[in-house]
Amino acid sequence: MANNPSQLLPSELIDRCIGSKIWVIMKGDKELVGTLKGFDVYVNMVLEDVTEYEITAEGRRITKLDQILLNGNNIAILVPGGSPDPE
Amino acid sequence: MSGRKETVLDLAKFVDKGVQVKLTGGRQVTGTLKGYDQLLNLVLDEAVEFIRDADDPLKTTDQTRRLGLIVCRGTAVMLVSPTDGTDEIANPFLQPEGA
Repeated sequence: MANNPSQLLPSELIDRCIGSKIWVIMKGDKELVGTLKGFDVYVNMVLEDVTEYEITAEGRRITKLDQILLNGNNIAILVPGGSPDPE
Repeated sequence: MSGRKETVLDLAKFVDKGVQVKLTGGRQVTGTLKGYDQLLNLVLDEAVEFIRDADDPLKTTDQTRRLGLIVCRGTAVMLVSPTDGTDEIANPFLQPEGA
């Protein structure tokens, strides 16, 4: 039952992202990239220097934000260091 | 160990194996399960997301994008299944035209 130490805990991985870039994919059509400042048990997060991408049929609408508190309720996927721009 | 509630879904046997994950909102990803917690938060490596249909977000297309190492939020997870031994079949409930 005890967690295998060779296993990677999700909360640990997010914790290691604090201070670096993170890509947040919401349940809907929004994605955000920003520097993770902190998060709580609900994975509400404080992000800085955020770029918000709204993916629509016509293309991507981009919004820049200095600092935000993002409610964790609508987060689907977190990608450490990633960004939606193709490499 | 007594008094400790065991989870219905034991993900331990899926660790380091390929899994398919469906999320609320219609997103679908596959990847190698690297970790999980009791709230069904998942760590997937080499994750690939299937792009949703622009007209119907509950349908996925053949288009994919590589995400790499990701965390899937347990609150958004609807389905977890191993990719090994999973095959997609034609819909047996679709009535043929004119039937």
